[in-house]
Amino acid sequence: MTKYVQHGLKIKSKPDEIARQNFMLNMRSYVMLDMATGMKKIYDHNIEPNFKKINKRKPKNGDEIHKTIKKNTYFKFYSSIRCNAQEMVFRSVIPPIERSMQDLKKKAKLLSNSKKTQGSLHIDRNLTIPKSVSAIDVHLMPGCYHSEHSESDLSQGALYDNGVSVFSMGFFGDKLDDIGSSISLFIKKKYPNFKPLKILDLGCTVGHNTLPWGQVYPKSEIHAVDVGAPVLRYGHARAQSEGVSIHFHQQNAEKTTFEDNSFDLVFSSMFLHEVPKKGIKQIIKEAKRLLRPGGLMLHMELPPNKMLDPYNSFYLDWDSYYNKEPFYKPFRDMNPEEVCSDAGFSKNKFVQFIIPSIGQFGKKEIIKSVNSQTGNVDDRTGRFTKGIHWYCFGSWK
Amino acid sequence: MSESDNKIRYSVRGKKSRFFESDGVDELVAICMSMAQELWVVKEELALLKNLTMKKGLLTRKELENFKFTIKQKTELDKDNKDFIDRVFFTLRESVEAVDSSHDEPPTPPIP
Repeated sequence: MTKYVQHGLKIKSKPDEIARQNFMLNMRSYVMLDMATGMKKIYDHNIEPNFKKINKRKPKNGDEIHKTIKKNTYFKFYSSIRCNAQEMVFRSVIPPIERSMQDLKKKAKLLSNSKKTQGSLHIDRNLTIPKSVSAIDVHLMPGCYHSEHSESDLSQGALYDNGVSVFSMGFFGDKLDDIGSSISLFIKKKYPNFKPLKILDLGCTVGHNTLPWGQVYPKSEIHAVDVGAPVLRYGHARAQSEGVSIHFHQQNAEKTTFEDNSFDLVFSSMFLHEVPKKGIKQIIKEAKRLLRPGGLMLHMELPPNKMLDPYNSFYLDWDSYYNKEPFYKPFRDMNPEEVCSDAGFSKNKFVQFIIPSIGQFGKKEIIKSVNSQTGNVDDRTGRFTKGIHWYCFGSWK
Repeated sequence: MSESDNKIRYSVRGKKSRFFESDGVDELVAICMSMAQELWVVKEELALLKNLTMKKGLLTRKELENFKFTIKQKTELDKDNKDFIDRVFFTLRESVEAVDSSHDEPPTPPIP
């Protein structure tokens, strides 16, 4: 098993496989914490002073820093090690998944048919997989979210869940749901009179951040869409195993089949930055169509570049160039407020929050943050580091 | 689709990022990381064997595969792993520490 996949679909790893996974967890921690701190120090002491000497000013934005720092040997090692670590994370979990595949299918079937939890699964064999998924191994995950290797395959779901378990170094919590748990609790406390009866998650993958909303709003009917059939099959069985009823649908978030004004809350978690600009705009419009008047759209995401200083912009945008997430920077260059208003949401209904991680700060700090939103983003926002905070934006309809 | 096709792809498709101008350095980093990982496997398995031997006095394959470290042992092992990584990649830490020491270092005599 991997450390944070302990539900009904957990897999058994051999001792050498566990050691490889442990190594990757600590190696990731080394590159994302120790090396990242080292790179900032080198930037502050050498790279920025040299830039100022030549240009008589500080770098204006992340692009200027990137252009300068990419010649630095430490940056090259940081980037090379980080890319390799990302690939090795996924490779470290593939052998036990392959060995467990038939067993996983059986377990998934049993869980899916279980009457204890009333979730459902709707696969659309005719759905066209968008190029942003089909043409790229997003975040260096071989096979992305959609590849199918056998009938009723769920291996890409297992690869994502177990890969993220190693990748996240504990920052996503024991159930990989820290983002969903932190933000759903925040929304419940911030808006006590908002009691959504129907909720939709867009781009849900294995539903790890969908589940907390079902726990925070147990009376709500929850739906979740994604284009990848394997992640949905896996996510459905995973949700059943956790005892949360969720209805999973293979649909494109840009154009769903749900009726107008049919949801009270439409949200996504770390989804939009994997979608091209045109698709993002369409998804926001679709969310508006689906929301009932008085409903809330919310996207848990990486903070926009306009809220960050040049170094942190450069640092976060690294993924766009080297982690096979080409839409990451274009998304972060967008103005969330404008994206919402362009889709027809009223400007005065726009919301954005910076919320402490429930795993690192606990419930009390989240409740405290309800009335102490400063709007300040810093180098702990959306970044694997001590004191991590999550950013989200959206709008009321 | 037959069950023989039931293989997850190990490699990432598409263009690979390259960071070093000199030919082969990017590949060398990948190889070094895999070697470090495999060395860690040996170290962790040795630790496992040592703990198991102390606990049981004899070994069977089943015992080996079912053994789990205690929380205390795992904490110690994680620390050991971090120290190990730091040793393997010491040259990188050194380049950061040089930031502090480089200012007062006397200049090197010109190379003839």
